[in-house]
Amino acid sequence: MIESVICTGCGCLCDDLDVTVEGDRVIEVANVCLWGVNKFIATKKFHSKKDRRRLLAPQVRRKGRAFDISYDAALEEAGKILIQARRPLVYGLTNNGSWAQEAALRLARRWQARLEPGDLAFMAPYYEALARHGLYWTPLEEIRDEADTILFWGANPIHSCPRHVVRYSVFSRGRFTERGAEERQIAAVDIYPTETAKFCKPFIQIDPGQELELLQGLAAHLIEGQEPPKRVKGTKKLVKLLSEASFGAIFVGRGVSYGPARKLWEGLARLVVWLNTRVPFSLFPLASDFNSVGLYHLLLRETGSPYAPDFGAASGLSSHPTPVDWREVDALLVTGADLFWFMSEDQVQALKERRVPIIVLSPFANRTTAKAQVVFPVALSGIETEEVAYRMDGLPVELQKLISTPLRPDHQVLADLEQILGGSTGG
Amino acid sequence: MATVEEVLEFLPRTDCGQCGMTCAEFAALLVSRDLSPEDCPVLHEPEYAGFIEALHEILGPAEAAITAGMLIDQDKCNGCGICVAVCEYHLGNCDEARLGRGPRPQDKVVFHVVNGTAVVVHQELCTRLVQAAEKCNKCADHCPTGAITLV
Repeated sequence: MIESVICTGCGCLCDDLDVTVEGDRVIEVANVCLWGVNKFIATKKFHSKKDRRRLLAPQVRRKGRAFDISYDAALEEAGKILIQARRPLVYGLTNNGSWAQEAALRLARRWQARLEPGDLAFMAPYYEALARHGLYWTPLEEIRDEADTILFWGANPIHSCPRHVVRYSVFSRGRFTERGAEERQIAAVDIYPTETAKFCKPFIQIDPGQELELLQGLAAHLIEGQEPPKRVKGTKKLVKLLSEASFGAIFVGRGVSYGPARKLWEGLARLVVWLNTRVPFSLFPLASDFNSVGLYHLLLRETGSPYAPDFGAASGLSSHPTPVDWREVDALLVTGADLFWFMSEDQVQALKERRVPIIVLSPFANRTTAKAQVVFPVALSGIETEEVAYRMDGLPVELQKLISTPLRPDHQVLADLEQILGGSTGG
Repeated sequence: MATVEEVLEFLPRTDCGQCGMTCAEFAALLVSRDLSPEDCPVLHEPEYAGFIEALHEILGPAEAAITAGMLIDQDKCNGCGICVAVCEYHLGNCDEARLGRGPRPQDKVVFHVVNGTAVVVHQELCTRLVQAAEKCNKCADHCPTGAITLV
């Protein structure tokens, strides 16, 4: 048994898993939620009794049928796509380790491609607000030890990060929070009731589109000390909760990306800045992909912007806050995401009609690998290969290798692809 | 009083599913006397001769059966571990669980999370059994998916 293993199920990166290994197989994992177990023993998310199919050999699609080929032949096929592309896109990366993300960024630079994070609409505006306001930062452990007020905004941690509430935010007991949930005020704002309602008092259910109004109401009450012209139901409860806090945190979920995300993040950041003048208060996105935060740290470090960098722009590097226009793209490289799962049927059909070639790196078969031109199976980060990942509060952690596999790690495949471009352009 | 672990020693532990559940679930139902050792089809095979009698011996007479226990619906449980953190027994006896971390392998716990679902390990430690059945409902009360039923 290997003790205290780090889980790559979600952005929590829980570090208390006990993994039982037999030969090159993981047979049992203790202290893992359903998100994590789908990586360790290849089951479907939230369906632990259904298996996910692992990809074992590189594949190429000819006349609609997939054939297993050698790694070198797959590289050659992918190379043709890379060289012919004029408006290429590298998509996903939120479920890759940091080394793979760095390799993908290098590839995008050489390929003169646009690099689109899988959760651009959700996470990028947070980093923009963070850069503008310079918010108070604290590790999750300090939230566990000291926070007496927690607000979930458009988030359902039971689905996105199941152990978050146990390890850090609600039920965990810390140095100054010995009574756990009894010692905290927990609230949630959402457009429909979720499992979080069970432990969130108050649970404020608003209508879709009322998010900004609610935020403006909170700002008017707290910052300006005025009665807002129009008050959303639940505003007063939230005002009371926030004004009584002595140490708090707001966790924001993917719900914000379905509304005016940039305005919401900006409003929440302004609110937290005001709260910070009185008490320590932090603002975090509830990142459900295990290394989403690492990708934005990399983008900020390398390009200076959290938005999608485009290395093919005529004016040099530019970064786009808006999602890519799929009609522009003529070649796709997808890694660390299941693109077709998130696309509408019309968008998938449009890509298919235009015969946009797709290269996919994935450890498991998914909707995108089923349509891809070239598929590279890769080793699982943190289980079959070492990697580095950033926890949702920005803390980098090293992932260890537990079992051996003949599959290559994703950063190596991406580096090999970059090598092809280097050779072809003489660079 | 027999524990789930002791009972498991005399079950095939192959999780073949012929009884419609895993061996651990079957063991929990044996301890609560909802099933009897004869209900396991595999134990009737010659290879397991004597196991049924041994199980009757360690389970003891029916009067000694656990009258209050818990059943975990594995289809509903998502392994969040809230039940492990709020358990009244763990509060005083397992530091790791009390602080929100997973119990260590050597810790004696009522239940812990394995492969994404909560599994009862030492039902006999549950406060409902040793003190007062009606006084502790914490695990079932806090379960966000309603996976725990107290019986």
